[in-house]
Amino acid sequence: MRFRIPGRPRRFFHGLIRRTRLAAKSGLSAVSGLVAKSRMAGPPPGPFRQSFWRSPIRGPWLTSVFGVMLLATMPVMFVTGLLSYAAYNPDLSPVNDTTPGKGLLGFYLFSWPTHPVWLYRLNQGTHVTLGLILVPILLFKLWSVLPKLFEWPPLRSPAHMLERGSLFLLVGGAGFEFVTGILNIQTWYKFPGSFYPLHFYGAWVFMAGFVVHTGLKLPTMIRALRSRSLIGELRTSLARTRQEPPDAGHLVSPEPAAPTISRRGVLAFAGAGSLLIGLLTVGQATGGPLRRAALLAPHGQDVSGGPREFQVNKTAAEVGITAEQTGAAWRLTVSIAGQAARAPVMLSRADLLRMEQHTASLPIACVEGWSTDDQVWTGVRLRDLARMAGVTRPASALVQSLQNGGAFGQAVLSAGQIMDPDSLLALRVNGADLTPDHGYPARVIGPALPGVHNTKWAASLTFQA
Amino acid sequence: MRRLLRWYGAHPLHLLTMLGSFALAGYAAAQLLSLDVFGVAVWFAGAVIAHDLLLVPLYTLADRSAAAVFRHLPPKLPAVQWINYLRVPVVLSGLLLLIWFPLILRLPTGFQASTTLSLNPYLWHWLAVTGALFLLSAAALALRLRRGSRRKTP
Repeated sequence: MRFRIPGRPRRFFHGLIRRTRLAAKSGLSAVSGLVAKSRMAGPPPGPFRQSFWRSPIRGPWLTSVFGVMLLATMPVMFVTGLLSYAAYNPDLSPVNDTTPGKGLLGFYLFSWPTHPVWLYRLNQGTHVTLGLILVPILLFKLWSVLPKLFEWPPLRSPAHMLERGSLFLLVGGAGFEFVTGILNIQTWYKFPGSFYPLHFYGAWVFMAGFVVHTGLKLPTMIRALRSRSLIGELRTSLARTRQEPPDAGHLVSPEPAAPTISRRGVLAFAGAGSLLIGLLTVGQATGGPLRRAALLAPHGQDVSGGPREFQVNKTAAEVGITAEQTGAAWRLTVSIAGQAARAPVMLSRADLLRMEQHTASLPIACVEGWSTDDQVWTGVRLRDLARMAGVTRPASALVQSLQNGGAFGQAVLSAGQIMDPDSLLALRVNGADLTPDHGYPARVIGPALPGVHNTKWAASLTFQA
Repeated sequence: MRRLLRWYGAHPLHLLTMLGSFALAGYAAAQLLSLDVFGVAVWFAGAVIAHDLLLVPLYTLADRSAAAVFRHLPPKLPAVQWINYLRVPVVLSGLLLLIWFPLILRLPTGFQASTTLSLNPYLWHWLAVTGALFLLSAAALALRLRRGSRRKTP
């Protein structure tokens, strides 16, 4: 253990007082006063001194390798996140909009397609699995730039102050997004408010910091990456590991300790973390043999062969669906919006079973990143129900559930989603009647729909002509 | 103008980018803060503080303590970088705990009711993975030591 004697505390405080007085006199801003003072006095002891940081492998090249990984992947996170929001078709109806105050930030929205049927499954599987895999990369990246947090002087100029402010958006935004996302997929809703707006607006705040940081650091990153060859580094053992040459950003320690791990070792370390997390998670999205390895994914458990066969995110009991509601007295109300004169069509389950039945193989894909393999659904086409109500070209349809309020007890489907031949009001799945937890007596199932828009325990369909 | 820029400390483009960034962040933050000003601010700053002033000092301290403790323990450990055989399983297991602690510690009370899945397996899965990581690491170290000692004895 080495202890350092705290340096020149006296001069530090005297300097502070003198400079503050001077600053007040000359009318300089408090910022530049402090700046000039701290330059004179030198950094206080502890992490503010460069010699405090002793890792011999910190340096611009290593930071840039982690940086370029995040530069390639964070935009994927952002875009898949935005696409997921678009998948809810929030512009179609306030019913679908989880962030009604978005204003200009919804500029990119478009009508969500129905094909390929695994589109939402792929989008969310990528978003959530990639996010988890990036946790070690992010933490190693932050470790690699730790000395910058304790830069001295803390504020060199107004430009520097703004830059550090934007770093707060970057790091705070990243932390906020990762934490809210990771807690949400574990259904531990401890964050302050609804997940959707928090995660959506948080992403924009993060991106504001990310774009600026990329713009400012890109030249440095390219220069650093060119300064050493990756292949060369991967061939460099611990015994031959030397520091990177001193850099302008002061990442390279002036008083390095003896190395205990090589640069390739650190890269392998972070990579092993990502690989392990990926292996223990990805099966909840891909299904197949990898599902068995998804030991720590929230929906990694294998339920096939059981009464439910595939995963659910809401049970009948949880949302207060009773046997009386779904029994012989159940009727589906099919109507046209705003046409009170025309009596709605009331259909029992037997009526629906007498109609032309169609079968479609479709997955269920949740915003939380888990999904089921394709299930074989059988039921009545939504477009047939529209025609029955008297609409051949519906603009949209409001589907309401028996469930008593709560989030996603209803959804509005677009024209494309209603007219797709695979969009069903399903009555059976995998050759058997729906179970109560899968939405008995009838539920919506549609291609590429976000999970929660496949409304279970359907009570009414209201078509907009 | 030139004096102003010297005072600012960077190219005008820098200032423009910064202002653009803060305008975008401010626009999004206005929506965010309308949800729950205090809560959101605490979570944003909390994310930074929890990482910089909690997680980092903790792992640094743990790493340095491990190195210090083992260095003074007899018998003297051989010259291989044994600390990495400790670091890797500890950090990987810690990462899993950091991500999945709500499931592992069975915190989401509504989980079983909504998913029909049991919260029980996650703790055991995490312990099993942790055990496997330490076993693998120990095996790798043993292999390394054996190879090292063979090389020494002709």
